[in-house]
Amino acid sequence: MTQIHMDPEVLVGLREVMEGEYPLLLDTFLDDSQKRVEALRKARDDAKALGRIAHSFKGSSGNLGAVRLARLCQRLEAESAKAQVTDLGKLVDQIDHEFALVKPLYESERQRF
Amino acid sequence: MPETLTVLIAEDSATDLLLLSTIVRRQGHHVLTASNGAEAVQVFARDRPQLVLMDALMPVMDGFEAARQIKQLAGEALVPIIFLTSLRESEALARCLDAGGDDFLAKPYNQVILAAKINAMDRLRRLQATVLEQRDLIARHHDYLLHEQRVAKAVFDKVAHSGCINAAPNIRYLQSPYALFNGDLLLAAYTPSGDMHVLLGDFTGHGLPAAVGAMPLAEVFYGMTAKGYGLAQTLREMNAKLKRILPVDMFCCATLLCLSVQRRVVEVWNGGMPDGYVHEVATGRRTPLVSRHLPLGVLAPEVFDDGTEVWPMALGDRVFLLSDGVIDTADASEQLFGVERLLEVFAANREPERLFEEIEQVLAGFRGQVRDDVSLVEISLLPGQVLHSSTMQYTDSGQSCPLDWSVSFEFRAETLKRYNPLPYLLQLLLEIHGLRGQSGALYSVMAELYSNALEHGVLGLDSQLKRDVQGFARYYRLRSERLDQLNSGYVRIHVDVLPTEVGGRLSLRIEDSGPGFDVEAMLARPLDIDRLSGRGLNLVRQLSSDVRWTDGGRSVCVEFCWVALA
Amino acid sequence: MSVESEVSLDGKQLTIAIKGRFDFGSHQPFRDSYERFYKVPDVYVVDLKEATYLDSSALGMLLLLRDHAGGDNADVRVINSNSDVRKILAISNFEKLFDIT
Repeated sequence: MTQIHMDPEVLVGLREVMEGEYPLLLDTFLDDSQKRVEALRKARDDAKALGRIAHSFKGSSGNLGAVRLARLCQRLEAESAKAQVTDLGKLVDQIDHEFALVKPLYESERQRF
Repeated sequence: MPETLTVLIAEDSATDLLLLSTIVRRQGHHVLTASNGAEAVQVFARDRPQLVLMDALMPVMDGFEAARQIKQLAGEALVPIIFLTSLRESEALARCLDAGGDDFLAKPYNQVILAAKINAMDRLRRLQATVLEQRDLIARHHDYLLHEQRVAKAVFDKVAHSGCINAAPNIRYLQSPYALFNGDLLLAAYTPSGDMHVLLGDFTGHGLPAAVGAMPLAEVFYGMTAKGYGLAQTLREMNAKLKRILPVDMFCCATLLCLSVQRRVVEVWNGGMPDGYVHEVATGRRTPLVSRHLPLGVLAPEVFDDGTEVWPMALGDRVFLLSDGVIDTADASEQLFGVERLLEVFAANREPERLFEEIEQVLAGFRGQVRDDVSLVEISLLPGQVLHSSTMQYTDSGQSCPLDWSVSFEFRAETLKRYNPLPYLLQLLLEIHGLRGQSGALYSVMAELYSNALEHGVLGLDSQLKRDVQGFARYYRLRSERLDQLNSGYVRIHVDVLPTEVGGRLSLRIEDSGPGFDVEAMLARPLDIDRLSGRGLNLVRQLSSDVRWTDGGRSVCVEFCWVALA
Repeated sequence: MSVESEVSLDGKQLTIAIKGRFDFGSHQPFRDSYERFYKVPDVYVVDLKEATYLDSSALGMLLLLRDHAGGDNADVRVINSNSDVRKILAISNFEKLFDIT
């Protein structure tokens, strides 16, 4: 699994596109992601719900350069679609953990502006 | 640089929505947003954006369903929908296109690709809009054209109403109601003596240009036929008119014929039409009526050839005329119906009555349906045709018409060659109101006596020649030759009108410069009405009162009487 | 469908060759082929060797050419007609106006 937690090149690109609204984008991402993580915890056993949330989270984290986070969400999405549901709880924990790791990274990026 | 578009972005992730909106706004477009499928449809219905970026998986209503509904709302117009997806599987991507998506954009978003796709979709959108606009323009023009044609047809039908094509019991025809706009023309009218003139014509071109020539032609045809003009004069007039009014590259192929029950002949002129056929019922023989002339409207009057052919007919015989739509009818593999097939139908026919239907059926069977430019007409020689008389029209009580007068004419060689005086004489005599009810009989008698005076008297032709078909052809050939070479001789016509106690009396005397004949011998011959000749005098005796020959047969006199209306 | 024209070296004869269908769509190119020349040739030749089909508008165009070429004084020849084309020209008796071979 890749070690890229926050891809600086993606951020440069985003900064260029968003210009003055770059901080707002970071805020929105942090807020959004927090809600997603909580939703994942709540949906513990519901494979379908887990799959949906993971799909959505995968998109936004990918767009914002949180590569490892996006990959983990992709795996959760794939697993939850399988006929035999393995223990998805483990993946949820991993995602939770990864977000806990990247959150301060994005927050300090936010502080720069 | 494309114009500013209004773009709807439907995306349930707030982060992605913000990112995408900014990218699109930066490209110069106006952005509307929605965070689920249902909202996307609502916003679309209200604001009608030109382009939609749609996330595939959304709550409430997913992107696929929203796309379907938006496409339906858009109707004919193209509203491109670009799906936003992080779906990898090809099945999922195929779903996007099936749902009516026009393209898709993968996450993470690449600005350059997004801009390129927006531009490409916009080009398609504008192309579709142009196509619809042009389609509507074409449809409008088409409606105008149809309207113009309807008006033209209404005007033409008024011009054409004076004919007998529908009323005559001996004519059957097949023609499309829109034949006029294929340039096909079918006219029929009675002459004052009860003969029938029929014209089957085919103008060059289609649509209004083809129809426009039909009206002046029809007026000449009806006008002259009603006045008693023969085929030659009518043809000259029709040709001159068309030559004058039509552009150089337009003309009218036509077959014109005169069918006479009295004389048991058909006189034909064919310029440019397919062969017509005279079908002899007794022998089954078919005589083709071949095109020998250039179509009408091509030659200047000085060089126009009005020569006709004359063929004998027996009661029950039929003449068939057809337009080239018959020959050119093609089947599914583009094989033409052709003349041979038509002749096969003729040959296979056992009941003359059914021949017309058989042709119709074979044509329809060949093609599947009949083309709209097929014209087919059958004219039979039936007995007992009513003499056509003009309706009695009195503009006053009849008091101001000429009642006591006489006039004499002498028509000499040069005039006999090129002029038929009968229509003029008839018009003159119809000045007498009391005679109008007998105009048919009057014309028939005058025509018969004049014809005898000219052909037997001046030209010296022997009516015995007309005993069979070859003799017939020879007779008319000789007539043409001798008339061409004529440089002496005359026909005199004397008209004497006197009032009587009850009305009035017309004495008509026709005199020729010929050698005369043995009147008593001729009168003594038994009446043989089936012979090709000799019928005329019988007719004259039936239609007028008091026929007398004098001057050794060179002079004949008839009388017509009438009773004045109170 | 194409219309090709060629003038003889001495400028006295213009040959117009029609390839394909000689019908309503040929109108403009046909007219152009003879109206373009400022010199009036003595003889016009219409070569129908590769003409596949002829309809009444083609007959009309021949009349236009004849009119342009001087009407009754014109010398217009129609050559290399196949049997179908010949038949069409024959029914309309066009040999009375054109020299047809």
